Amino acid sequence: MRHIKHLTGLIATLLLVAIFSPSPAQAQSFSVSPREVKIDNLPPGEEVEFNLTIHNKDNVSHTFILTTYNPDESQRRHGRDQFPHNSWISFPQQVEVQAKSTTVVKVKVTIPSNQKWAGKDWEIWLGIKPETSDLLVVNHCIRLLVSTSGEVRGSRNVALVVGVVIGILFLGYGIYYSRRKAKPKHAHR
Amino acid sequence: MKAGILSIALALMLVLSSFLPLLADDTGTITITMTGADEISITLSKTSWGPEDAAGTGIVSSDTTYLTSPPIEWCKLTNTGNANVNTFVVGEDAKWVNNSAYKWTLSSNGTNGDNIYGLWFRISGDTTRGPNHDGYVPITTTQDEFWPYSGGSSLAPGDTKQFGLKLLTPTLFHGGREMRTHITINAVAA
Repeated sequence: MRHIKHLTGLIATLLLVAIFSPSPAQAQSFSVSPREVKIDNLPPGEEVEFNLTIHNKDNVSHTFILTTYNPDESQRRHGRDQFPHNSWISFPQQVEVQAKSTTVVKVKVTIPSNQKWAGKDWEIWLGIKPETSDLLVVNHCIRLLVSTSGEVRGSRNVALVVGVVIGILFLGYGIYYSRRKAKPKHAHR
Repeated sequence: MKAGILSIALALMLVLSSFLPLLADDTGTITITMTGADEISITLSKTSWGPEDAAGTGIVSSDTTYLTSPPIEWCKLTNTGNANVNTFVVGEDAKWVNNSAYKWTLSSNGTNGDNIYGLWFRISGDTTRGPNHDGYVPITTTQDEFWPYSGGSSLAPGDTKQFGLKLLTPTLFHGGREMRTHITINAVAA
């Protein structure tokens, strides 16, 4: 053990070399569209879908990796806040696009049903980059601007359920009361 | 009997009042605006770099600075899309290809240390940018402006920028290990 430690020290202090690996060059010629997606009046509790297109301009197929990124305030559109949870946006983690062809990717935005997410303006970026071992990687980002409406869709459903339950209780009570009132009259006869 | 009728009436009112907001909801419209004809696309003339000693062994030494050749016109970035874009740069730790548990941490200010390395970029024409006012800007794990910076003009379709890289190796590291890292250039609609 002591010998190993000594050997490690020697490697660290005497060799002092490493290979900073160059990798075979791979082209990264691709485009994404649209450049910006603006969703307005989305009620919390609802979900929407849209498509983005990846165009692989290379002569070979590529796997593209999709990610979300929360930009700083200075990098966002004016008046936009940071998107609260990246998990509200769902899409395939990676997509293979054949050479000289395009692929459409479906993106879904779901806002939880909660009053605190009503009336908000958010921004998040969707990044698309090729899977590569190259040192330099190009990541094309689509601005996703989401504005929620002032009304919460899910809470209405809760109100509906509560209303129906209370209604049924009243209805039940009404029927029960009517029958109970009617019964004693027959009993006296 | 009256109480029974009243209860039934209340029940009906409650159910109806619950449905009213739902009916009103139908008037709300979700709009999705996709700025569709424009596409984001930037290309780089080079994507790989293997800094090495003069003998071309592919080996680097500790506490040494390496520059791309040519230093500031090594790579050309071109906006090949049809929309104006802003570009940003972000780096990451360099990992040993055989075991990612061993890594060189990317410095937060371009300096080096034991198992800490520095990365810099310089855009051709920039002579005063960066902490040393020599045009070189540290690449860190936090996304930072590549071009434009300080509220300058974004890259219009067809615009190009040439740039080079600088590597400052750690003061101390395990030798003989192939290290790999990525520098990501993000492009977003201006």
